[in-house]
Amino acid sequence: MVSRLSFHPYTYLTQGTFLRSCSSSSNPSSSGEANMSVASDVMEAGGLGTFNLDHGFPEAVVRGFRSGFLTDYDYHHLTQCESLEDMKMNLQETDYDQFMANEQHIIPVTFRDKALQKLVQEMEFLRAHAVEPLATFLDYISYEFMIDNVMLLLKGTLSGRSANELIKQCHPLGLFKESTMRSIPAFEASPKGYADLYQTVLIDTPVGPYFSQYLQDNAEQLSDASEMRNILEEVQIEVIKNSLHKLYLEDFYRVCQAIGGETAEFMGHLIKLRADRMAVNIAVNSIGTPLNEPAMRSTRHKLFPAVGYLYPAGTARLAEVTDEGQMEGALSAVPEYQKLYASIAGAKDKTLEDLFYEKDVQALEVAFEGQMHFAPFYAYVKLKQQEIRNLVWIAECILQGQKDEINKFVPIFSDSSPWRLAGKLNR
Amino acid sequence: MVRADEINCVSPLCNLGWVEVLTSMSPYGWGQFGVAFALGLSIVGAAWGIWTTGSSLVGAAIKAPRIKSKNLVSIIFCEATAIYGVILAIILLNKVQAPDGEYLFDQSTWNWADMYHAGYSTFFAGVSVGLTNIASGVAVGIAGSSCALADAQ
Repeated sequence: MVSRLSFHPYTYLTQGTFLRSCSSSSNPSSSGEANMSVASDVMEAGGLGTFNLDHGFPEAVVRGFRSGFLTDYDYHHLTQCESLEDMKMNLQETDYDQFMANEQHIIPVTFRDKALQKLVQEMEFLRAHAVEPLATFLDYISYEFMIDNVMLLLKGTLSGRSANELIKQCHPLGLFKESTMRSIPAFEASPKGYADLYQTVLIDTPVGPYFSQYLQDNAEQLSDASEMRNILEEVQIEVIKNSLHKLYLEDFYRVCQAIGGETAEFMGHLIKLRADRMAVNIAVNSIGTPLNEPAMRSTRHKLFPAVGYLYPAGTARLAEVTDEGQMEGALSAVPEYQKLYASIAGAKDKTLEDLFYEKDVQALEVAFEGQMHFAPFYAYVKLKQQEIRNLVWIAECILQGQKDEINKFVPIFSDSSPWRLAGKLNR
Repeated sequence: MVRADEINCVSPLCNLGWVEVLTSMSPYGWGQFGVAFALGLSIVGAAWGIWTTGSSLVGAAIKAPRIKSKNLVSIIFCEATAIYGVILAIILLNKVQAPDGEYLFDQSTWNWADMYHAGYSTFFAGVSVGLTNIASGVAVGIAGSSCALADAQ
C-alpha cells in the first residue's frame, strides 16, 4: 500500500502527540515589540533604473533556471516509465542531465538526494554572485532549512543517535559551519551542558537570535533556574520548531519590507500566504489533541505567526476553533479562504491543506512575473522543492506499482493546473 | 543698464548685475561646454543602458544560449544613442568658428550679439541632446533587459 506522501512538509504538529504543556501564558507575541532578528541593517534594492547594476546577473540566471523546470511533456513520459532506470534515462533529456550518472543502485530517495545536490550547487552559484541586499535575502531563504536542521540535531541527540548519522540527514540547503554542527550532538545532558549548549553553540548558528527570542518570550513561564533544560525536556520539540518558524517568518517579512520596492510587495504577499497556511495547518491538525483544550488555547494562539492576511482577527478566531465545523466561520475574516474552504465539498480527495498549498503554488508561479525584484529566488527554491517531491512521488508509485495514484502530484507551470483550467473553462 | 555709481556694493569684486556676469563669459566657453555635454552625457546614457541589458543578457544566456543573437539588437539600440551624441558633437564642433580672417584681430568689429546667441544655442543644443540621450539610453536598457529575460524564461 503506497504511503500517502504529504505534499507539504509544513505539518508542524502531528496529531495526538502533545503530552506535556507549558503553563498557559497570557498574550501572543505582538509585532509591536522589537523582536530579535538575524539581519539588522538591510539595504534597499534599486528601482527600475538601478536594480540591474547589482542584481541583474543573478536575477537573469535564476530565470534561466526557471526554464529548466519539468514540463507536462516530461511528466507525461516519466509517468509512463516502468522502472527507476527508465526514469533516470528520461531525466537525462531534461535539465537534470547527468545528475545521476554515477548511481548504481537507484531508490526513490536517490532522486531526492541528487536533485537536492543540483539545487544546492545552483544556489551556491547564485549566492557567490550576490551582493547586498540580495546576499541577505538568499541567506534568509536558507535559514528555514537551518532551523529544521538544528531541531533535527537536537532531537536526535536527545534520542541518542550518533553525530555523523544526524549530520548526514541534515537538509543540504541549511548547512552551517561544520564545527558548530558537530558540537550540538556533543553536549551532555546536565544543567551545565544545557547552559553551554545555549551560550556557546546555539548562539553561534545563524539562527541563534530566534532561540534567544524564544527563550525570552517563554522565560516567564519557567520557574527553575535551568531554563534551557526545562524547555528541551518539557516542551515538545515540535512546539519549539513551530515557534522558531514563526519567528523566522516574521523576521523575513520585516527584511522584505526593508528591502522595499517590488520585493516588498511580492514577497509580502508570499510570506503572508505561507503564514496563513501555517496557521490553518496548526488549527486543523490540533483539533482533537490536547492542544485544543480551552486551557491550551492561548498557547495555540501563540503559535500563529504575527504576519498574514488572517492576522490578527482571523488568528484570534482560529484559536477558538474546536472542531472542523467552526473552521468556515473562523476563515470568514478573509473571504478568499472562506471560498476555498467551501470548495472542499467539490474537490473529492483534497484536504484543506492541499487546497491552501495549491494556492501557494499559484502565487509562487506568479512571482516570476514582474522584473527587478527578489521574489523569483524564493519562488525558485520552493517550486524546485515541490518538483523534487513530485519526482520522489512518481518514483515511489512506479516502484510499488500504483499506477492510478501516480498522477496525484502538483504540477508546476503546467497547462493542466486547476487555476489555468478554470480560466480556460470560463472563456 | 545699471550705472557704476548706482550700486551699493563696496567689495572689490562687485559687478553690475547679470549682464556683466554673462557678457564676461566667452561664448566660445559656452559652445565648447555644449559640445562636451552632447558627447559625455549621451555616452553616460548609452553605458547605463548597455549595463542594464548586458547583465541580464549574460545571465540569461547561461541557461538559454539561443537568445544571444536575437537580443544583441537591444544592445545595439543602446549603442545608437551614443552614436547620436557623437554625431551631434561633431556638428556642433563645426559650428564653433573664429570670426572671418580680416576681422579676427580687431575685436571692435566682432558682432557680439550674434556670438552670444551662437554660444548659448550651441550650449543648450548640447545639453538637451545629452540629457535626452541619458533618458533614452536607460529606457532602452530596461526594455532590452525585460526582452532578454522574457525570451529566456
